[in-house]
Amino acid sequence: MPKAVLNIPPAEPKDIRWFYDKYAAMLLGYINGIVQDHRKSEDHLISILTSFTAEFGMQERSQLSIWLELRQYAQSRLALITQESHSLSPAPVNSNGNLDLLDDLQKQIFCAVYYHGKSISHLATTLGSEEDEIRNQLKLSIDKMRRSRGN
Amino acid sequence: MEIKSIIESGLMETYVMGIATEEEVQQVLLLKKEYPEFKDALASLELDMEVLAQGMAIAPPPGTLEKVETEIHEIQRRNQVVQKVARPNTKPDGEDSKEEKYIEVEAESNQMRVNKAWKWIFIAVFILGKIFLASAIYFYLENRQAREEIKELKIELKQKIK
Repeated sequence: MPKAVLNIPPAEPKDIRWFYDKYAAMLLGYINGIVQDHRKSEDHLISILTSFTAEFGMQERSQLSIWLELRQYAQSRLALITQESHSLSPAPVNSNGNLDLLDDLQKQIFCAVYYHGKSISHLATTLGSEEDEIRNQLKLSIDKMRRSRGN
Repeated sequence: MEIKSIIESGLMETYVMGIATEEEVQQVLLLKKEYPEFKDALASLELDMEVLAQGMAIAPPPGTLEKVETEIHEIQRRNQVVQKVARPNTKPDGEDSKEEKYIEVEAESNQMRVNKAWKWIFIAVFILGKIFLASAIYFYLENRQAREEIKELKIELKQKIK
């Protein structure tokens, strides 16, 4: 996973507040998509926000945006917890519409990649498809959701 | 390959989803640097991924920020303690042993240390000073007495001449 980075100095209270206001809700939604338990998600949110905020100052700069870094950081932190329970599980229950636009296969691929960081090759093997097909379905699912938001 | 077909290939999507291979990551970084069109498309995709996440956001319960701040301050406090404890080990051996043997105290002293050899020099200077002083007094008195004698002789001589 690329190393996490922020463009703000570490652990200044105003920065934490800014960071929290901007990303906490998004992160909680993301964590809940993985953990599927509201109470546990809130606990994970606190620990992930804390460790990410404490760590990003010491890590090297990368090319990804803050949200993508944070999402990947959360994903790697939760990977151990969800490793056993996840087996290309169905989409999160409270997906609030975005995922409902996708067909079952696209939903399965998108969720496996987005929430669990499964690789294209892994999905191709698991689903018995070509890697190009998986890649294509992933792109189509993202395009569908982007278009639904007028992009 | 034409840049538009690369943009449509799904490479950007695997990159922003964090599942790109190292080779693909390098390819994306290179394309981003060389093709403004690719760079714009990637930035747009990153932004859209953030918008999608905002659409799936769940507001945290009240008090979560305070918990995060408390945890961060606790980590900072712990790190400061660890740094203080670890600091002596990070210095070179010479400085290390010096710090172990001495405690630095800030104080102003009105005394100074002098090598013991100076003791005899000071005694010699003191004795010579006394000798010079005694000599000066002796010669002063001698001189005064001589002047008085000269004065008396002069008066005596004047009286004889008269």
